Amino acid sequence: MKFNRIGLFTMFRREVDRTLRVVIQTLIAPVISAALYIFIFGTVIGGRIESFEGVPYISFVFPGVLMLSIINASFASASSALYFMRFTRGIEEILIAPFSYLEMLIGFVGSAVTRTMMVSFLILMVGLLFGAVTLVNPVAFVFYIASISAIFAMLGIVVALWAESFEQLQVLNTFVITPLTYLGGIFYSITFLPETAAMITRVNPFFYFADGIRSSMIGYSEANTTIGLFVILGLVIGLGILVTQLFKRGWKIRS
Amino acid sequence: MSNIPMLEIKNLVKVYGKGKAKKTAVDNISLTVERGAFFGLLGPNGAGKSTTIHCITGIAQPTAGQILVDGVDVVKDYKLARTKVGLSPQEFNVDIFATPDQLCNYMGGYYGINKQDRQKRIDELIARFDLEKHRNVKFQKLSGGLKRRAMLARALIHTPDLLILDEPTAGVDVEQRHDLWGFLKEMNKNGKTIILTSHYLEEIQYLCDEIAIINHGKIVKEGTKQDFMQDGKSVEDTYLEITRTKESQK
Repeated sequence: MKFNRIGLFTMFRREVDRTLRVVIQTLIAPVISAALYIFIFGTVIGGRIESFEGVPYISFVFPGVLMLSIINASFASASSALYFMRFTRGIEEILIAPFSYLEMLIGFVGSAVTRTMMVSFLILMVGLLFGAVTLVNPVAFVFYIASISAIFAMLGIVVALWAESFEQLQVLNTFVITPLTYLGGIFYSITFLPETAAMITRVNPFFYFADGIRSSMIGYSEANTTIGLFVILGLVIGLGILVTQLFKRGWKIRS
Repeated sequence: MSNIPMLEIKNLVKVYGKGKAKKTAVDNISLTVERGAFFGLLGPNGAGKSTTIHCITGIAQPTAGQILVDGVDVVKDYKLARTKVGLSPQEFNVDIFATPDQLCNYMGGYYGINKQDRQKRIDELIARFDLEKHRNVKFQKLSGGLKRRAMLARALIHTPDLLILDEPTAGVDVEQRHDLWGFLKEMNKNGKTIILTSHYLEEIQYLCDEIAIINHGKIVKEGTKQDFMQDGKSVEDTYLEITRTKESQK
């Protein structure tokens, strides 16, 4: 049977409808948070920091702020949508429809990426207002945004399948994602860190996410780009296989 | 018209859980529903009716056996099989913040119906189920009867060959129930194969021409409506006679 293109487009459109239905939570809140980060780190603190490697501090920080929003939007979108569907049994609408397991993966991830793109666009607009946006490699920028968004959407799916309560839905975010994000060099250069801390940071995958977005925006990179690409593509492929297999087994969604 | 039955269930087994928690919900049942039939599936709560329906539609994975819808295996060729079945489930498995219009629209999209055809079909179904005034009201704000009608409209959006109705008139008032019966009769007359489960046995008697009783996961009686109404008995009399026997209660 042919690829269910209309079905997938419907899944993406439904996520847009859902995003607009709770616009304060999904779009306005992340934009306000990002604006505050840009103002405090970029303007207030950045005003007292000389340019870093020839780049204004606000431009150095902005990719990190954007990444933070991408991670939160992707994870929240995928995890809350799927968990809510499990909770209300709305997931049965997907299970009885003609979607292959790969199409289910593309549908859920694509929906989360769609919402993330909406959030990213608004944050880029805020960044432009603060003069924080530069884009040296637009193709790489879109690649990093989409792939990082896909990684956290798939993590969100795994958590949404595993969680048995709204509290459990937050566990990974609170104990893993948030610490690794802040320790991944989103607001600072690893050259500011002692040697040991810098070495630890280099094994944090989030460091490569932030570095990838930063290099595509301002052209400055502290990580090995090849390793970064392997980390990102490895996670996309690995999580993609995992989620497809979970859908195929019907783990927690098919009785 | 094809001679292939609309539904063939062969030695279906569905086991939930493992070890001490293991429970056999469906125990080696076989059923055939011919094309154009109005088939009643009866049984007490927990007998295995909904589990069987879930196995047909893809909500549950069969443990063993085979299910063919219009000759298509629901496990091996699941994408094609799912286009042939429409389900109005017992429980409201919907996004309660969506409207009937949106529910039909999303479901039509999932089945790959293009925008123009989908809108035309939604308008037809909304009119058919008298949902015009409520098409843009959130599902959670609808009455029980309107919710059931919205579920039916959603189940029919892709014009399925086989319509499965799991307790479609639960919570529906008498007038609306009769309206619905008329609609189902008309659809069946026009060739739609329908499987109906209901605790209202007069509904089964009025609508169905083939009936099966499932109890403790096994088919305990199967036949035509006339088979169930011999010696002046109603379907309900026969049902109670069968489900109350020791054999059936095992």
